[in-house]
Amino acid sequence: MLVSPCIRIDTGHVGFTMERNDPLPPEIELAQLLQRCAARDPVAFRALYDRTSPILFARLLRMLRRRSVAEEALQEVYVRIWERAAQYEVHRGRALAWLVTIARYCAIDLMRRERLTLVGDDALAEVADENAAEPGAFEKPNHFDDCIGQLSQTTQHCLTLAFVEGRSHDEIARLTSNPLGSVKSWIRRGLISLKECLSAERQTA
Amino acid sequence: MKVSNRELLDRLSAEYVLGTLRGNARRHFERWLVSPQVREMVNSWEQRLAGLEPSLQKITPPARVWQGIEGRLELGRARRSTVRWLAIAASVLLAVFAIFTLRPPSPVLVATQRATIEADPQTIYWRVELLGNNQELSVKVLATHPLESGKAHELWILPVQGNPVSLGLLPVSGTQRLVLSAGQRAALAGARQLAVSVEPTGGSPTGLPTGPVIHVAPLSPA
Repeated sequence: MLVSPCIRIDTGHVGFTMERNDPLPPEIELAQLLQRCAARDPVAFRALYDRTSPILFARLLRMLRRRSVAEEALQEVYVRIWERAAQYEVHRGRALAWLVTIARYCAIDLMRRERLTLVGDDALAEVADENAAEPGAFEKPNHFDDCIGQLSQTTQHCLTLAFVEGRSHDEIARLTSNPLGSVKSWIRRGLISLKECLSAERQTA
Repeated sequence: MKVSNRELLDRLSAEYVLGTLRGNARRHFERWLVSPQVREMVNSWEQRLAGLEPSLQKITPPARVWQGIEGRLELGRARRSTVRWLAIAASVLLAVFAIFTLRPPSPVLVATQRATIEADPQTIYWRVELLGNNQELSVKVLATHPLESGKAHELWILPVQGNPVSLGLLPVSGTQRLVLSAGQRAALAGARQLAVSVEPTGGSPTGLPTGPVIHVAPLSPA
């Protein structure tokens, strides 16, 4: 299991930007809070919520678009985090990634339950225009940029729509005006190429 | 567990993590997550695709979200209820202990389903039998399973839908019989697999597997 050197280096070396950019909470601190949540410590849970809910809320809004739905999802996410804190494996690190993954899966479940389908761009207006980049926020696998760059622009776009926006195959086909079959096969082949490229790069590194 | 098609499972893992595996297919796939091999595939894809994670400006949620969470989890009462929960857990354990150890041999019930929990066909750790159409469970130790101190093996039903349901702790020697509860019988209806996880002594504190799932065994008609 890889630890997350990227995040530690960022918070360590660029100390002057920490105040300005309101950095992500250190992984080690989140991991400790999660352990205390597993031991049913409500104070730790509140601290975890304070440090991470603005990150997860932004992520949920990106997928669910509507504030009311994203707020409901956020509640559900933290209920799951509290219930599953014992499943977080400290030795794996990546505490923030673990939390974001719970949020993503929760949003996907909610889309199904609410039968949320593609909403018009007007709904995007509900997301305040504050999506400025916060560099180095998440650890990327080594050579990720090289490997993703080898995929066609269309495939990259499909993968992003699925992962970042939570779009289904159908929605991606409609959004990009491409046949459903092509979208499915670009995604499938894109994932295979990405995996092959990342493991090849790891071997040569 | 025998994975008949690793490639297919890896593809499903990828689309599960990407988010394009939807609906019933997604829910069905989630039941595979108790398998350590599948969980490892999903973990690997989560790491690979983390590279797609966007950099977003934080957005502070309104206070009502926290109030809702606090209300749903009854956090104000969490500490007191922990103590109460421990007391309940202790009495349940005692009851289970009493059932396992004090119960006289039941009238003859015929085994209707079986599962063997094994490392390989030469090393069978436990033979599990469901008796009389899931009225009772019988577990026989055939070989001692290695176990760290302070840990126990817990047996789980993987129901057709929903979370695993505990069948209690596995014995370390001899044969144990357990009368199944209505909840356990309901979970067994249509279930095709049992699983074993490593838990703290006394069993999972959450009612769901918390430690690694080390075996998944198919149930077959006896």
